[in-house]
Order: sequence, then structure tokens, then C-alpha cells
Amino acid sequence: MSAISLSPENHTETFHHHHAAPANGYATNSIEINDVSVRFKTPKGVFTAVKDISLAVGRGEIVSLIGHSGCGKSTLMNTISGMVKPSSGSVIANGNLVTKPGPDRGIVFQNYSLLPWLSVYQNIYQAIDAAIHGKTATEKKALVENNLKMVKLWEHKDKLPGQLSGGMKQRVAIARAFAINPSILLLDEPFGALDALTKSNLHVELLKLWNLDNREKTIVMVTHDIEEAIFLSDRVVVMNDGPAASIKAIVDVPLPRPRNKKEIVHDPVYMGIHDKLLGFLVDKLSINDL
Amino acid sequence: MKKIFSLQTLYFLIGIALLGGLWELISTLTKHEIPSPRATWLVFREVMQHPMQNDPDYKGIGTKLLSSLERVAIGFGLGSIVAVPLGLLVGSSKAMMGIINPIVQLLRPVSPLAWFPLGLAIFQDSHKASVFMIFICSLWPTLINAAFGASHIPQDHKNVSKAFGFSKWKYLTKILLPFSLPHIITGLRLSVGIAWMVIVAGEMLSGGIGLGYFVWDEGFNGGSIAKILVAIIIIGLVGLLLDKLFLFLQKRFTYAS
Ligand SMILES: Nc1ncnc2c1ncn2[C@@H]1O[C@H](COP(=O)(O)OP(=O)(O)O)[C@@H](O)[C@H]1O
Ligand SMILES: [Mg+2]
Repeated sequence: MSAISLSPENHTETFHHHHAAPANGYATNSIEINDVSVRFKTPKGVFTAVKDISLAVGRGEIVSLIGHSGCGKSTLMNTISGMVKPSSGSVIANGNLVTKPGPDRGIVFQNYSLLPWLSVYQNIYQAIDAAIHGKTATEKKALVENNLKMVKLWEHKDKLPGQLSGGMKQRVAIARAFAINPSILLLDEPFGALDALTKSNLHVELLKLWNLDNREKTIVMVTHDIEEAIFLSDRVVVMNDGPAASIKAIVDVPLPRPRNKKEIVHDPVYMGIHDKLLGFLVDKLSINDL
Repeated sequence: MKKIFSLQTLYFLIGIALLGGLWELISTLTKHEIPSPRATWLVFREVMQHPMQNDPDYKGIGTKLLSSLERVAIGFGLGSIVAVPLGLLVGSSKAMMGIINPIVQLLRPVSPLAWFPLGLAIFQDSHKASVFMIFICSLWPTLINAAFGASHIPQDHKNVSKAFGFSKWKYLTKILLPFSLPHIITGLRLSVGIAWMVIVAGEMLSGGIGLGYFVWDEGFNGGSIAKILVAIIIIGLVGLLLDKLFLFLQKRFTYAS
């Protein structure tokens, strides 16, 4: 490493526990990731994507995962959603061992993942119909309507995904995840492909939805965007580069809510966190390399 | 202002004119052994006089066409009923792919006409034998394309199904079928094209009725090359219409994501 490094000195915070410690200041843990490793069998042999990760997320907490592309953020998210089984270790969600996806965890995929032949309405209805049992068709229809109105897409309910803009598709995906009323929301780069303005609006909308629910939903979000991570989160988890990625650092975001996007950027606390995160992400680059 | 003639229409007309010119030329070179477009047109009008006549001793061209279409519809319909589910099954299961694929690869290159005598031996009836032949040759393209569709469902769609816990039925009707549908229709389009080509040959073999028999009996045996040409044009036009129909369906059921 060169003389003038952007790398911060002390980044050994709460990790490397055998059992995830309770998240600071939260009454109950919503998610506990215990020593999780994920290995993929590939034609070139076994590939370890993430290794020995432990993390606890409190009920109602918003946590962002940041890290370089391909480091294993989606993989870690997928162990919480139940889409990927840990090769070792375990994930507990709402007190239950995660073995498969369930309606207590709503997923917004990296690329919307709407079914292109179903209308906006049907995309949500079919998901509710599959995920929620013991509700009548009328109740399910009411859920679709409420959630589409919530993301302001009720007028577009009969359109096909191909007729929507990126931001609208993203809102459908969010409405679909909210509609099954999960206590945990897992968002994988939900705003990645959007322009800055749409992104900003959706940040505010997401926080509004979270507030509407008395801030009881736990949200884990993957992002590349440092500003987005700070604005939305209570904690930001920085991951090392893969293979065998682990947690590099966890940074608290003690900014009071509600946060104002324009104002917080001038807050010294915000700026400190921003610099710290930037340092973690670019520590491989020194001034001399630039 | 609305354009009446697009460039495409112009090209189309040039193509038709070239074909007509070539035809005229050949007709002249063969000293009208091959009748000119004009002479053929006269025969066409004569053939079209009572198209739907259906007497025991005289069947109009329309009646013959319908009987050919009927056999294609039955054979192609039965073939599709077998090929679509089988193809989806083959595309969804590695085991089924392993079992069925070699059989398809072995039987697909066989000329449809080779199945005719087999059909005749089984059914002792030349009409049923030609339906059987159409049935067999309608299977392969549909089966192969349906299997291709079912085996190429994007991971994203599968993730939706897994994440929200779709039942088998919901997966089939909301993901597998809609995704595979354009591929299935491509298969049907290829199948119906082959079936339409094969029916004419089949009817030449079976005799009795249909456009193929018309070509053979009234055209060749009756010594009227003009009638052969008329039949060729009708066969071509009907084939074109069938193709356009399936092309339309294919576009209708293809979705941008
Ligand atoms: N199903 C899989 N099979 C093999 N390798 C995989 C699979 N899923 C992810 N990977 C690998 O694991 C690493 C982490 O991937 P991912 O979690 O998608 O990264 P990120 O979301 O951080 O960009 C990458 O190197 C990727 O190629
Ligand atoms: Mg990812």
C-alpha cells in the first residue's frame, strides 16, 4: 500500500462472533446470520462466495449491504430470503431457521423480475394468491388495490410490464413485496437502474411505507450507492471483495429521523460517515494510483 | 398525408411482375406447352365456376381444398395435442429429454411419405393413412420448439415462482406456458407448413379427393398443365395464409419484458 492511503485505520467492529450478537439497541432480532458460508459448485471447482459471516439485524432496523460488484451481496441476501442454502452456518428469520422462501420475507429482485405476460395487477395478484393462504379472493383483490394505490400505480394496473418505465416497474416490484405484508423486506439493488430523480422519489416513498407500518418492518438492502445507504439506513455493512467475502466493517448511521435529503448532506456526521464508507470502498486505490 | 404505396408494396409488385415475366418467357420458349399466365387465368376462372359443388361425379375446387384442409386440420390438431405437452415435459425434465430426444432425432429425418404405407397397413384406409402421415410430420417441429421454450425459462421467472411459493399449477399456467407459447407457436407454424406440403403428396398417393388428387388426376392425367399451375397457385396461396396466421399469433403472444 502506498504512503497516502485512503484506508481508515480501525475497522474492526462487531463481527467474527460465533453467534450473531443482538443488534444494538433493538429489543428483538429480526434476522440472525450465524457463521454463514456459501460455496458454489462450478465447472472449475468449488467457489466460495461468502465465508463465515455473522450479522444480527434488529426488528424495524434498516441495514444496507455495500461492497464491490461480485463480492457476494446478493448471495448473502439470498441466504436470508431462502433462495440460496448456506453451505455451512444458519440463518434465523423471525425466530425460525430459514430453509426456503416464505411470506414473512418479501423480496425485491435486482432486476424487478415481473412476469412480462401479466398485467401490473395480475403480477401482484398472482404473487399474493400464491404466498398468502386463508384469504378470500375479495380480500386478496383489496390487497392488490391498496398496494397499487400506495405506489401510485392504480391507473396503470392494466398495463403490461413492457409498457412501464424502469421506475414504475420498480414500484410494482416494491408493491408486490409489500402486498404480502412481510415483516422483513429484502431489497437487492432496488434502485440501481434508475435516474437520480426517480431514485430520490422512491427513497422517500420507501421510508413513507416503512413509517406507515410503525417502523416495524426490517429492511435489508443491497446498494452501490453510498448516499442512498446513509440516507436510508441505521447501519451500513461493508463487505470485502470476494472470493470468500466476509464483513469488512459495520458503520452506524446515528442520524435522527425523519431525515431530510437536502439537509443531511451538510451534516458533519453524515460527511464523516460518507468519507469513512468511501474509504472502505476505495482503499485499494491510493492517491498515487489515481 | 397517408401514403398509399409504401416501398414494400412497390417491391412486392416488382417481384410479382418478374415472376409473371419469367412465366410468360418460359411459356413462349416452350411454344405454349406451358400455358401463359393469361391462358392459366382463363382456366382458373373456369375451375372457379362452381367451387363448392359437391356431387358424386363432380367436386368443385373449393370442396377439394376444404377436404385437404380438413385432413391437415385433423392430423395437425392431433399431432399438436400430443407434441405440445410432450415437448413441455421434455423441456422441463432432464430425464424426459434423455429418453425422448434420441427417438425424435431418429424419426424426425424420415420423409413423411415413408409413413404413408405404414398408415395404410394400420388403418386399411387411404384417407386415414394420410391423416396419420400428417399427424407424424406435425409432431417434430412442435415438440422440439416446445421443449426449447420450456428448457429456457429465465432464472428471474423461476425466482419469482420460488420466492412467492407458486404451486405447480400456477407455475405451469403463469410461467411455463406463457413463456413457452411463442416457441410453441413457432413450432406449430413450421409443422403446419410441412403438413400442407405433405398433404398434396399424400393425396397423390391416396387418390380420390383433395387438391393433390386434383393435380394428379385432372392436371397430369387429364393433360391440363394449366390446371396443375392453377392448383400450384392455390396451394401456394393457402400455405401463405396459414403461415401468416401463425406469424400473427406468434407476434400476438410475444411479450417485451
Ligand atoms: N449460482 C452460482 N453459481 C456459481 N457462482 C455464483 C452463483 N451465484 C453467485 N456466484 C458467484 O458468487 C460471487 C458473488 O455473487 P453475487 O452474490 O451475485 O455478487 P454481488 O451481488 O455482490 O454482485 C460472484 O463471483 C458470482 O460469480
Ligand atoms: Mg448482486
